[in-house]
Amino acid sequence: MSGPKRFINDVKVSERHGAGEWLQERLSSLILIPLTLWGLWSGWALSGAGYDGALAWFRSPVNATLLAATLLISLWHMNMGLKVIVDDYIHRPASRGALLGLIGLVCVVSAAAGVFFIVRLALGSAPLPAGLGA
Amino acid sequence: MSTSPLPGDASNDPTDDQSGRFVRQPNGRVRPLSPHLQVWRFHLTMLGSILNRIAAGALSVGALFVVGWLAAAAFGRGAYETYASIMGSPVGLLIWFGLSLAGAYHLTAGVRHMIWDAGSGLTPKSATSLTIVSMVAAVVIVVAFWAILFMTGKVVL
Repeated sequence: MSGPKRFINDVKVSERHGAGEWLQERLSSLILIPLTLWGLWSGWALSGAGYDGALAWFRSPVNATLLAATLLISLWHMNMGLKVIVDDYIHRPASRGALLGLIGLVCVVSAAAGVFFIVRLALGSAPLPAGLGA
Repeated sequence: MSTSPLPGDASNDPTDDQSGRFVRQPNGRVRPLSPHLQVWRFHLTMLGSILNRIAAGALSVGALFVVGWLAAAAFGRGAYETYASIMGSPVGLLIWFGLSLAGAYHLTAGVRHMIWDAGSGLTPKSATSLTIVSMVAAVVIVVAFWAILFMTGKVVL
């Protein structure tokens, strides 16, 4: 299972996948610091702006891109965080596997649906369900 | 495969334990988990950690609310105005106040973790100070945010 031990600066390199997950958690956190502050600012801009204000906001490519990035990186970060919580408290392998699968599914569906909505709003598409056979 | 002797009565089967007191190690042996809440003396970094995890759970639900908001916008004026009126009601505003507090604390507590990961602030005294700063900063950010929202008339009760 484990290969030869490797060291960088006298610190042993992880033999399996733990270090990669650690790095992913830190990387996503780091990117989310500015994105969260931007999200706070956007929340201020969108509050009370109504439907027309929201549509105008989405037509800005900067807003649409940053929102998609915030959503995707948040869901990635959330998936890792919830996995750690489940690993901590759920010990029966079948329950743990089922919960992790459910959480993963919710994250993937949220990501796909969210990006779909953002792209439509950014392109100024007609309100749904137009274009979906209705 | 060998298992450890059962502590206490036979109904206390560590191989089918859901209390988290026992865990099966990668080598197949069942071992007790390290001591948990009931034996810890309260300390502030403990509270900071628990609150950060609660905030993470709240934000996970909040992410679904954001996707719901996107859906409402994509489904047109009627859907958007229904969503906005629910979220603009007193209960809705309370939910978003809680979510913004969770978001602000998860942010400041996350920065605190970054400082710890860099190897700084790890003595008990400075770890506690960092935790106090992260809590106070989160409350200040959220109170200022909502004060501005109400003062500019963007949100009304």
